[in-house]
Amino acid sequence: MSSSSPALTAVATDEADTTRPAAYMNPYLAGVGLGLVLLAAFVVMGRGLGASGAFTSLTAIAVEAVAPEHTRANEFYAGYLERGVGHPLKTWLLFEVLGVLVGGFLSGALAGRVGRRIEKGPRAALGTRLALAFAGGALMGYGAKLARGCTSGQALSGGAVLNVGSWAFMLMVFAGAYALAWFVRRQWT
Amino acid sequence: MSAPLFKYGLFGDEISLIVAFVIGIGFGFFLERAGLGSARKLTAQFYLTDLSVFKVMFTAIVTAMLGLFYLSWAGWVDISLVYLSPTYLLPQLAGGLLLGLGFVIGGYCPGTSVVAVSTGALDAWLYLAGVMAGIFVFGEMFSSIGPFFYATDMGSLTIPDLIHLPYGVVVLGVVLLALGGFAGAGWVERLFAPPSRES
Amino acid sequence: MKRPFSYHPTMNQLLAGGALLLGALAVFGSPYRGPVARVNLRELARDVGVEADHVTAEQLADWILQQRADYRLLDLRDEAAWSEYHIPGAELVPMAKLIDYPLLRNETIVLYSDGGIHAAQGWFLLEAAGHKSVALLLGGLNAWKDEILFPVLAEDASAEQRAAFERARFVSEHFGGTPSVSGGTLETDRTPTPLPKTDMPVAPATPRARKRKAKEGC
Repeated sequence: MSSSSPALTAVATDEADTTRPAAYMNPYLAGVGLGLVLLAAFVVMGRGLGASGAFTSLTAIAVEAVAPEHTRANEFYAGYLERGVGHPLKTWLLFEVLGVLVGGFLSGALAGRVGRRIEKGPRAALGTRLALAFAGGALMGYGAKLARGCTSGQALSGGAVLNVGSWAFMLMVFAGAYALAWFVRRQWT
Repeated sequence: MSAPLFKYGLFGDEISLIVAFVIGIGFGFFLERAGLGSARKLTAQFYLTDLSVFKVMFTAIVTAMLGLFYLSWAGWVDISLVYLSPTYLLPQLAGGLLLGLGFVIGGYCPGTSVVAVSTGALDAWLYLAGVMAGIFVFGEMFSSIGPFFYATDMGSLTIPDLIHLPYGVVVLGVVLLALGGFAGAGWVERLFAPPSRES
Repeated sequence: MKRPFSYHPTMNQLLAGGALLLGALAVFGSPYRGPVARVNLRELARDVGVEADHVTAEQLADWILQQRADYRLLDLRDEAAWSEYHIPGAELVPMAKLIDYPLLRNETIVLYSDGGIHAAQGWFLLEAAGHKSVALLLGGLNAWKDEILFPVLAEDASAEQRAAFERARFVSEHFGGTPSVSGGTLETDRTPTPLPKTDMPVAPATPRARKRKAKEGC
């Protein structure tokens, strides 16, 4: 958006990315865009955005395929299997996540940012990085279920409706991440 | 007078899935635009060299909060029909902590990892596999973690209700907090800017 | 900087200024709707006409047996009547407090009173207040007692009726009621049966009760 505006040069926080094909958008403008998308979800659907719920549906379906009895007896999985418009795969969040996949690709392609890569710091070993990607994901999957949502569903959507639990959650996300950052600095810096 | 549209029955469940897809496209687009599809950009947040995550998230929260407030004030949206997930304080604090640890270890959060996958980050696939593994462990442990999961139930609770202030006052408070935070973020970034550029 | 003509704010300053202005203005408003209601009378009349607003005692018993947690059950009678007996899971909400009782507009709310008149009046109040899914217990607590707690099987009942009664007997006993077989008409030889204790362990108010509400979460 309006990259010719002299205003943007003053806030270019992306100097480190000059080797990238295109600079990232002004974070505040992107934030307004994201906020309007969230607002649209409120106005049209009466609900916020989400992500981890889609993967919970996928997990529940996968577990059910292996052990149907066990899965249906589990209150947690059963709750997710009951969702969906006629089929547990046809849930709102899963379709939303499909959209995220398309939207992310669209933006990346327009900016020339699509390409095979592995995101890691210059000092990080490849194997460690991949193992930690899995481990971090597992911690987050577990944490997101305990907290009833992830950064999208709780922090973003709940934050905008001034939900007490969401704000408490958000504080703890930042606290946890900053507390551990120093110990894994070799991965990223 | 008649929004949220879905809750007023303007369209059904099937159409809502199409709406989900379209809204998801917008969500993914702006996440990628802001650079939140890159684990390095996301984690730079925690090394104070690039606070974009904070800026994007808080701007989005403020934008949606103000929009919802004014649309409701004008009477176009019934805010009480907008989903307010119940607060379970302790499990949410604990879950948030785990999420924070996982964030800096794994480099993504569930939403941004989908964007990363869409633009070709291979580590994001492993991250997502990890997410599902974590959910699986949670699901298998559910019977034992259940009591904690349901502990400290505070119901659907907003900050204005909690601290007994008018909604609008809290809105102003959040705006001021965000603007103060943004000013602080700019200052911190200049303080911690990397001396040399690395790609 | 002082004169507006020489001042060119950056995009970020514009955004910040806008947010500040909107935030400051917000102090004077409220997003909630007050006690003054505008009601779509045709919509209300249609809902009443198609009886979309009824829950039978049998349906309600099923919901409780299934431990469904996606509805709120409100007892509109007074406290004395409530402590004598109430349907398991019901919340005591005296009529005068109904409008200020914390309920979400999109929750399914089932109302009951002894007969049904108070419930019907409460139904209108909640509909006018913008609640989207309010239902009456058809026949009120009286119907609940007759059909669920104290079902009576006529002696000359057909085989089909007897089979159906087995289910009613199970339900009745679950709720601490007393199913009986009558000799003749239903009402005459009915001995006054004790009402079950209200704190009996039926449909425990477990944490499960909120499970389904997380449906729209992340």
